[in-house]
Amino acid sequence: MIHFDRVTYTYPDQKVPALADFSATIRPGEFLLVVGPSGVGKSTFLRTLNGLVPHFYGGRWAGQARVFGRDPVAAAPRGMADLVGFVFQDPEAQFVVDTVEDELAFAMENFALPQATMRKRVEEVLDQLSIAHLRNRRISTLSGGEKQRVAIASVMTLQPQLLVLDEPTSQLDPQAAEEVLLALRQLNEDLGLTIILCEHRLERVVQYADRVLYLPAAGATPVLDDPRAVMAQLPQVPPLIRLGRALGWQPLPLTIKEGRVYARKLMEQIGEPANGQALSPAPLPNDSRSIPHSPTPVLAVRDVSYAYNSHLALRGVNLEAWPGEFVALMGRNGSGKTTLLKVLVGLLKPGEGAVRLWGREIASMKQGEIYRQVGMVLQNPTDQLFAATVEEDVAFGPRNLGLNEEQVERRVVESLSLVGALPLRARAIHHISFGEQKRVAIAGVLAMGPSVLLLDEPTAGLDPAGEAEIMRVLSRLNKERGISVLLATHSVDMLPLFADRIYVLNRGAVLHQGPPEAIFRDDEILKKAHLRLPYISGLLYELKKYDGVPIDGLPLTIGEAREKLLELIPDDVIAADVRRGGA
Amino acid sequence: MALNDSFHPVAWLAWLAAAALPALSTRNPLYLSLVLLAAGVVYLALERCSRGTQPAGRSWGAFVRFGALLWLLTIPFTALTAHHGTLVLLRLPAAWPVVGGPITGEALLYGLTGGLALIGLLLVFATFNVAVDQARLLRMTPGFIYQVGVVASIAVAFVPQMVGAWQTIREVQQVRGHRVRGLRDLLPLIIPLLVTALERAVQLAESMEARGFGCQAEATPRRRTIQQLAVLAGLAAIAAGVAAAGFWRDRPWPAGVFLACGAGALLGSFWDQGRHVRRSRYRRWQWGRADRAVAVVSLLAGLAWAIAWLARPGWLSYYPYPPSSPWPTFQPGLGMAIAALALPGLLLQPAHKTSNE
Repeated sequence: MIHFDRVTYTYPDQKVPALADFSATIRPGEFLLVVGPSGVGKSTFLRTLNGLVPHFYGGRWAGQARVFGRDPVAAAPRGMADLVGFVFQDPEAQFVVDTVEDELAFAMENFALPQATMRKRVEEVLDQLSIAHLRNRRISTLSGGEKQRVAIASVMTLQPQLLVLDEPTSQLDPQAAEEVLLALRQLNEDLGLTIILCEHRLERVVQYADRVLYLPAAGATPVLDDPRAVMAQLPQVPPLIRLGRALGWQPLPLTIKEGRVYARKLMEQIGEPANGQALSPAPLPNDSRSIPHSPTPVLAVRDVSYAYNSHLALRGVNLEAWPGEFVALMGRNGSGKTTLLKVLVGLLKPGEGAVRLWGREIASMKQGEIYRQVGMVLQNPTDQLFAATVEEDVAFGPRNLGLNEEQVERRVVESLSLVGALPLRARAIHHISFGEQKRVAIAGVLAMGPSVLLLDEPTAGLDPAGEAEIMRVLSRLNKERGISVLLATHSVDMLPLFADRIYVLNRGAVLHQGPPEAIFRDDEILKKAHLRLPYISGLLYELKKYDGVPIDGLPLTIGEAREKLLELIPDDVIAADVRRGGA
Repeated sequence: MALNDSFHPVAWLAWLAAAALPALSTRNPLYLSLVLLAAGVVYLALERCSRGTQPAGRSWGAFVRFGALLWLLTIPFTALTAHHGTLVLLRLPAAWPVVGGPITGEALLYGLTGGLALIGLLLVFATFNVAVDQARLLRMTPGFIYQVGVVASIAVAFVPQMVGAWQTIREVQQVRGHRVRGLRDLLPLIIPLLVTALERAVQLAESMEARGFGCQAEATPRRRTIQQLAVLAGLAAIAAGVAAAGFWRDRPWPAGVFLACGAGALLGSFWDQGRHVRRSRYRRWQWGRADRAVAVVSLLAGLAWAIAWLARPGWLSYYPYPPSSPWPTFQPGLGMAIAALALPGLLLQPAHKTSNE
């Protein structure tokens, strides 16, 4: 039993408590998901479970906490380590040695366990997490998903009763995330291990949760309830749940499989199709989103290959981006997206092939010239922001271009307003939130005045609200300013709303390209690239294919799906208020 | 067992000490060549046995190149600046500031042998590097300073990560038009690196603390004070011994007494501290016959050399300038001692099984 009784905790040098009067009871063997907007105190709550708060951070503590009978404040992290295992967000920064087996032994060595016990437990844990094949590998050579599983294994060797994870999959691509979450589910079911984890990408994990702890705002009363009950109240929910809410489906479907339950219901409501027509495959859409092309593409890549350390990162890639287009590069981690972006901006010289900017080869252009026209924002804003204040940092680019102070100031104000960060201009860069840092990083590159913007995973690590904000900013830049946007991502759900064209990359080669309607027609190409259809399309694809629901075309967005489904259902069956609106 | 199939790391440490001693204490080219030969034999044997699991050749090559470079630098340096000797090769005008005067063959020889000693040392270390996996070695840090071992093994992983981060940061700032022209231009590169390093370090520290790492000494405060005082006293005694040896050259025994007491206090304190640390070791490397052979032979060779160094320094010295002869002397006993260091190379076989795991 995990019991919190009116816990109030304030970080040192802060006035507002991070946790205020927090009370909750969590049952043993439960799989608990903690959700809430950024900065609301989820990480703080997780760290109270093993005593890192308050022992690692200091600060003021009031109230009582009991984790399986032990008091984390009295026991300190070292005293809680054999009861609570903690896995962190960044897979790169959790390992002490470079070998998997030695890392698994680290925790046990700290507790002076005898050798025979250590050996036995290492075998058990390798088995539980299915990583026996990684036993002698060097940790630095593992993929993100494998690293996180090794991290879980290394805390499992102490045989804890509670496993706490702080955003374990936020740095992973969908397939790696699924491996990790499935491993967690298995631990929960087979061993009865209590699992408490916090995650922004709810759609990956909400179906495994027994209950959800929702922290609406700092200091507000938490909501601890059944997942569907909480999903009904959350402002930002995954697409399937939004569709369920829009159509009034009760109970809310959490996965595609649950969504298909409604297929039968839909078929009953629809009755027989009017003229028994065979379901025709969706007609290929005419290029409704195509933009009148100028003769020269902004960026054109012909047969580019790039290799490093005898590893072929790009193989014969062909790509074009036209002025004002919004292009997405989809692929898992390691498919070559980042390498391609770096080649596009001239940071890497391709071994074969050529990159042309407005028709001119960039190999013949000076670097300064390229950077005035092509801007690149990489994934981690920490790598970019360095000045004392936001405006200082955004001014860095224009100053390097040699503009005078007046022009620099104008550019700073302009780019900050474009990303919606003008009120932050005098703030220190380390005092703004992660989402705000990402936007300031974009502003910093925008201030150079490029006509093409390349972004690598701009929404990684953000909560749904932050993700929506960034995509709106990019869409505004694209539609209002005519800046071409090239976006590398493995997150497919929001692409149909924004992308004009999508390139699917796998192992350094382009598998397919086209508008979202063409790419998201079926599973085959995406499966080969280890990606999936957006959830809405996925559900409707299965409804069409396996359950025979006569949906016209393949809707990609919630709005489209809602319309198409409501079209099918006769007026008198569906509730009037659902038909009218509300999502 | 894929990482490194060779002898017990402590045996290799003994070998390293025994092989480094000649390189540090003499410039006699005959002995030094023997050291190089022994190291080469061991290295070749390691290469043959590694079955290509490690890119060992690369590090050896880097060491050889570095050593050759140093050699090429020291030879002209000594040759040009020392002007003693009778075998004159070249005569530069005496008016030139440092290099003016006769350039002698003896000076050239002296420079050659100095470089040879350097290369010998480098190659011995390179062979050791190939033979022993650093991770394994760090896991064997003595109990009383286990934190040092942990920190060192973290650093081994951390540094390459930071190098990668530095590369990314450079690229990011480059795209914003940044060029490094002066010291101040390093700021946009250093600050993100520091922040990234700090963030990673904090998360790693949390992870370690959450797994129970921390103060693992169970000694009472009184005992701890005694241990620390013993370390201080031991160090003071050693300092006194060294001073006494310097000031009272004709009466060596007070110095000897101080040194012995100091060493005893230190070792005793370390052993006691080690006993109180509550940590176990996952890997226990067992001593096979071959490991013992290598360790014993290395110890004996090192001992022989050390005795020669202390008792008969004349055997070791090589000083080509007149009135000494430029021809090196050779003591067969010492030669054998060095040649024995090739033993690990002879004992290593491709099918050699260590008694680990």
